[in-house]
Amino acid sequence: MFQVRDVTYRYPRNRKDTIKGISFDIRQGEIFGLLGPSGVGKSTTQKIMVKLLTDYQGEIYYRNKELKNFDKQYYQEIGVGFEVPVHFSKLTADENIHFFKKLYRNQANTDAMMQRLGIYEAKKKKVDEFSKGMKIRLNFVRAVLNNPAVLFLDEPTIGLDPANARTLKTMIKEFRSYGGTVLLSTHLMSDVDELCDRVAFMADGRIAEIDTPQNLKMKYGERKVEVEYDTGNEEATSKVSFDLDTINRNEDFFKLVRNKKIITMHSKETTLDDIFIKITGVEKHD
Amino acid sequence: MTNFFVLLLGEIKRLQRYNILSASAVVALLWIGVLYLTELPDITFIFPMLIYVDATSMAILMVGVTIFFEKQEGSLHTLLVTPISKLDYLLNKSIITVASSVITLTILYLYVVIFKEIDMSFLGLLGAVILVALFHSLVGFLLTYNSRDFTALLINMMKYMFIFMIPVLLEYMQIIQQDIVEAILYIAPTKAAMILLYAPAGETELWEIVYALGYLGIGSIILFIFVLKRFEQFAVSESGV
Ligand SMILES: Nc1ncnc2c1ncn2[C@@H]1O[C@H](COP(=O)(O)OP(=O)(O)OP(=O)(O)O)[C@@H](O)[C@H]1O
Ligand SMILES: [Mg+2]
Repeated sequence: MFQVRDVTYRYPRNRKDTIKGISFDIRQGEIFGLLGPSGVGKSTTQKIMVKLLTDYQGEIYYRNKELKNFDKQYYQEIGVGFEVPVHFSKLTADENIHFFKKLYRNQANTDAMMQRLGIYEAKKKKVDEFSKGMKIRLNFVRAVLNNPAVLFLDEPTIGLDPANARTLKTMIKEFRSYGGTVLLSTHLMSDVDELCDRVAFMADGRIAEIDTPQNLKMKYGERKVEVEYDTGNEEATSKVSFDLDTINRNEDFFKLVRNKKIITMHSKETTLDDIFIKITGVEKHD
Repeated sequence: MTNFFVLLLGEIKRLQRYNILSASAVVALLWIGVLYLTELPDITFIFPMLIYVDATSMAILMVGVTIFFEKQEGSLHTLLVTPISKLDYLLNKSIITVASSVITLTILYLYVVIFKEIDMSFLGLLGAVILVALFHSLVGFLLTYNSRDFTALLINMMKYMFIFMIPVLLEYMQIIQQDIVEAILYIAPTKAAMILLYAPAGETELWEIVYALGYLGIGSIILFIFVLKRFEQFAVSESGV
């Protein structure tokens, strides 16, 4: 669906490139995750792909045609969810949605979506009276009100309570099941784990790694067992870990289990969180 | 319905919701107050000045304020990813601004015709107001592009007022009378505006009218092209208004 080839971008007043040569493909019908620490260029990449920033170097093909050759009709086919509030604050949610809807050929059943996301009752309220989470849910409805073929979502679940985040994720998955393609920028591993078919890790304006979440876990993963035991002297405990794959041959492990009082024992698989830190070299802040 | 008209209707609705419509009604009332307090029965002399102040400053203000709101609340970003061309967007803002000036003119003209005397054709005034407001709506874009925030926008407007609007006003009120200053003021777009607004009174020389029409007409075209070109850069910059 998209072929991104060696794209670089520099903001007009900056001295350094923000995007330093990225290449990736997005296939039709997949959820493609763009992952990375804050300030790495995820939103910038998304803005380039929705033609908000047009002064990039390199090439981007959508349906085998360079993005620069598309006019405003491109927006008939895509939906864009921003990470910031983007509505007319003194109009009601309903008025906002209807205004934007009229600009498109395809029109989705927005009432049903508002109902699922729990903002239908508030649709006659002005958007500036909405809570943060309500605005985010409204952002999503606005992004899909034209039944887009491609959906760009920037941090769609940030600021949502767990129940609403769940509903939203279900709706994103449903979008995919109807053949929709999604580019999802996020720094939440749980979203990636749950939603993404493939994920690109960004570090400092470049793509460090692209693969499926499963392959990444295999590649960077370590499987181990962590055992906490009573050392016998006073109240001190000690921790050791053993490789899970060779544990059936590990005499040290058997000795420990036989002779010591075990306090806890956990098997640990590398999470995407650990991989995130390993690949990007950045501790994540939530 | 084409997207141009969807945009236009939306714009009108927002003018009402954001209280910009009522603000311009208040301003119109203010002008009527001024006309009411004028002792002269024939107000042909003062009428164009009122219209001048309204069509220049209100046009700049209206464009500046609405774009400022849209940028601040983020709705401008959303508009940019919908199937609306920037040409539609810019034309819309200019048309609305011109329409608002025309409405003010009509109200004031009706008042004057009913309660006072005036010796100016409405059509002549109408033409002048359309051109003056169009030009100044584009000036509004320009000032907005070059303002970091709302305060900067207000300061830029002040600068335009003190450099261009007020000197011309003082000249026509005959407070400034030096020939050299009057000659220099031909550089100002506001002078061209004032010439056109006085032209319906019938005492303006032909070359002056041609000059003013040329200045504002060609000026509007050049400004429009420039404003169109710079729009995207302005719209995506985080720091701008
Ligand atoms: N309009 C702009 N002008 C100049 N520099 C910008 C602009 N927008 C973003 N940047 C810079 O580009 C870099 C990447 O920003 P971007 O918003 O793409 O990051 P991000 O990965 O989306 O981060 P986050 O997770 O915090 O949303 C940052 O260093 C930022 O300061
Ligand atoms: Mg971002």
